[in-house]
Amino acid sequence: MKRLCFLCTMLLVVAILFTACGTTGTTGTKGISDTPGTAAPDGKSAAQGKPSEKVEVKLSTWAGSEEAAELQEIIDRLNKSSDTYIITQDSNPADYETRLTTQLSGNAGPDLFWVSASRGAQFAARGVMLDITDRLSKSGKPAANLDDYYDSAFGPFKVNGKIYALPWIMQPVVLYVNQDALDKAGVVIDENWNWDRFMEAAKKLTMDKNGKSLGESGFDKNNIVQWGFTLNGWPPVQMFIWQAGGEVIAEDFSSSPIDTPEALMGFNFYRELLDSGVVPSQQTIRDRGFDQMFRDGQVAMFMGGAADSLDTKVENFKCVVREVPAGPTGIKATFVDLLGMGINSKTKYPDVAFEALVDLAEEIHKWKVMPPRKSIGSAENMQSLHPERKDAFPAIVNSLEYSRPYRFYQDYPDWDTVFWNQLMDPIVNNNGKPEELVPKVKPLLDEALK
Amino acid sequence: MERYLATFGRWLLVPVCLFILGLGLYYLMRILRWDKQQATGLALISPWLFGFIGFTAIPIFYSLYLSFTDFSLFGKEKWVGFGNYIKLFTNDIEFWPSVRITLSYAVFTLPVGVFGSLLVALLINREIRGIRIFRTILYLTAILPDTAVAIIWRQLFNGESGLINFFLSLFGVNKIDWFGNPKYVLPAFVIISVWGIFGTNTIIFLAALKDVSKALYEAAEIDGAGGFKRFIHITIPQISSVILVQVVMSLIGSMQMFTVAQFLRPTTQAGLFMNQLVYTRGFTQLHMGEASAIAWVLFVIILVLTLLVFRTSPAWVHYETEVKDVKGIKNVR
Repeated sequence: MKRLCFLCTMLLVVAILFTACGTTGTTGTKGISDTPGTAAPDGKSAAQGKPSEKVEVKLSTWAGSEEAAELQEIIDRLNKSSDTYIITQDSNPADYETRLTTQLSGNAGPDLFWVSASRGAQFAARGVMLDITDRLSKSGKPAANLDDYYDSAFGPFKVNGKIYALPWIMQPVVLYVNQDALDKAGVVIDENWNWDRFMEAAKKLTMDKNGKSLGESGFDKNNIVQWGFTLNGWPPVQMFIWQAGGEVIAEDFSSSPIDTPEALMGFNFYRELLDSGVVPSQQTIRDRGFDQMFRDGQVAMFMGGAADSLDTKVENFKCVVREVPAGPTGIKATFVDLLGMGINSKTKYPDVAFEALVDLAEEIHKWKVMPPRKSIGSAENMQSLHPERKDAFPAIVNSLEYSRPYRFYQDYPDWDTVFWNQLMDPIVNNNGKPEELVPKVKPLLDEALK
Repeated sequence: MERYLATFGRWLLVPVCLFILGLGLYYLMRILRWDKQQATGLALISPWLFGFIGFTAIPIFYSLYLSFTDFSLFGKEKWVGFGNYIKLFTNDIEFWPSVRITLSYAVFTLPVGVFGSLLVALLINREIRGIRIFRTILYLTAILPDTAVAIIWRQLFNGESGLINFFLSLFGVNKIDWFGNPKYVLPAFVIISVWGIFGTNTIIFLAALKDVSKALYEAAEIDGAGGFKRFIHITIPQISSVILVQVVMSLIGSMQMFTVAQFLRPTTQAGLFMNQLVYTRGFTQLHMGEASAIAWVLFVIILVLTLLVFRTSPAWVHYETEVKDVKGIKNVR
C-alpha cells in the first residue's frame, strides 16, 4: 500500500509539473507576465487588456480543410507582423454551432469565432459576444470604419444600436445561368428582367427530349430533359415577397404581415413557379441533387449565393452570373447571407482580441467574395482581386446594393421554425395553397414575435 | 510541445486524483467502522461512482430543475414553475405531432425488431456448414455507424434509382416520394428499422436459444410434437425472459430515434421525433428549459410503457427458478 501511495504521489508531482510547464511556455503564447484585461466596453484600458508579450488568441471556425488551409496562410502572415497576438485556428465544420454554443455556455469558448447571422443575433442579444461599438469608433484601422460597410451588413450583429460582431462576407443571391441554353432558346436577359420575363424564359428553357419547349404543341411533359428553373424552399420566398413590395416581419418586429396583397403576390409567384412545370418535382430534386441538376445541365437557371462560384466550377457549359429578376412593379431585391466574427465576452484579453479581429477581418475581406465593404467591394477592385470571376462581378456588386438579410432578432429561430414548418414546407412539399395557409399561420408567426 | 505536455499532465492527473479520492473514501469508510472488505470494494468502484455522479446523476437532476426554468444556455435562468410543461401540452404546435410520430414509430418497430431478430436468430441457430461466416456477416450491420446506415438507406429510397421503388414498380406501384410526402415518412422509417434486427438483438437471442435444454426438445419429439409446437411450447417459454429484455430495450431504443431521422431530414409535416425536438429546442432555438421539459416527458412516456410491459410480464414470462402450481399461481424457488 505504501508503495502504491508513493507511486501515486510521484505521478501527481509529474502531472502537476507537466501541466505547469504547458501553461507557462517559453514563447509566452499565454502571456506569462500578463495582467488579464477587463472587458471594459469603453476601450480605455488598452494597457489592461494588452499584456506585455504576445498572447494566444484562439479562433474557432467552420472552415473545411481547403478553406482552413487558405485561412491559415492569412493567419500566419498576421501572426508574423503582429507584436501583440498569435492567432491559433481551430477549424471544425462538423456540428460547429452546437460545439461552439456548448463551449461558450461552459465558459470554455474561444476568444474569436465565426458566427452565422442567425446565431449572431442570438449571441448578441444574450451578451455572449463582446460589445465592440466603442472600440470600433476609436480604432483607426480600415476594417473598423463603419461608414465603409454596406447598410445591411450589421443587421444581425446589432442590438439596440450596439455592434457585437464584424461581418466578413456578404453573399447576395444571384442568378447562375446556362448561357449556352439561353442562346439556343433565344432568351436575352436585359435591364427589363422581371418576373414575367423570367417566367417566359423559364418556359422556353424547359425542354423535352424532342427539343420542344413548355407550351409548344406536342411538348412531352413526361420526358423533360431540361427544366428552366429550380427551387426547393431555396431561394427563400422572402426575396420574392420583397420584390413584390411586401414584408414577412414588420420593421418594429410587432407582427408578420404575410397577409398583405404584396406578400401574397410573392407567395403566389412561388406557387406558380412550382406549378407551371418549369421546376422539377421535389422528388426529382431530392433524387438528383439540387445544384447538381444545374451543374449537369438539367436546369438552365439557378439562384445561388455569390460565393458559390458556379461560374468557375461548371465545365460542361458556359455559366454566367446575372441579377435576379425584379418584381412586377420593378422593385429589385435579393436575399443576402451574412457571416460575422465576434469576440467572446469572457475573453481574458478583449483589446488584443479586438485587434486580432479587426486585422483578420481586413484580410478576410480581401479574400472572400463578397466583402461587406464598399471600398474593397467595387467591381473593378474585385475583378483585380479575383480575375477568374471578372465577368461575374458587375451583377454581384449591383445585387449587393439592393440585397437584404432577414430581420434577425433574439429568437429568430422560433419564428423561422413556424414559417418553414407550417407554411413553406406545405407549400413546397405538399402542394399547399398560400391563400389557405397564410390565414392559419399568420397568428402563429405573430405569437412567435411576442 | 508545451500544450501536449499540459494535456499529458492533465491526463495523468485524472487517474491520480481518482486514486486519491478512492483512498480517501476507503479511510472514511474505515473510520465509519465499515468492514475492510466492504470499504475496499467501495474504494475500487469509486472511479465509476464518481463518474456516474458527475456525468450522469447530477446532469439528470439538473435537467429536471432546468425544465422548470427558462434557461437559454446563457445568463441566469428564471424559475417558471410548470410553465414549460403547460406550454408543451396546450400551446405547442410541434409537440403533439412529435409525440404521435415517436409513439407510432415505437408501436410499429417494436414487433418488427423483436420478432425479426428472433427469426434471424432461429435461422442462424442451425448447425450448417459455414454458419459462423453467416453470423459474422449479419453482425457486421451492427458495427456500422448510424450516419453510414442513413446514407445507404437514402440511396435505397431514392425515388428514381432506388432499389425499393424499383422493387415496388415490378408490382405496378408508382414511384413513392418517401421523405417528401408526409404519408410515407413513418413507413420509410419503419422499413429502415429492419436494419436493427440484425446485430446485437440477434446475438442475444442466439445465446438464449443455445441455452435451451436439448432434452426438452427430445422429450417433446418423443411425445410427437412438431416443429411449430416445439417452438411455441418450448422455445418461446424458455427464452421469454430474454424476450422481455429485448422488448424493453427495443422500446427504449425506438423511442429515442434521432441520428437517422436527423440525417435524412424528411418533410417536417410528418413531425419531428421527440429527441429531434429536444435537440432543436435546446441547440437551435436556445430554449434549454423547454428542451429539458420535452426530455422529461419522453422519459415519463418510456417509464410508463416500460412499467406496462413489466406489469404484463408475469402472464408470459417464465423464469427457470420459477414453478407454477396447478392454479397458475407462481412460486419462486
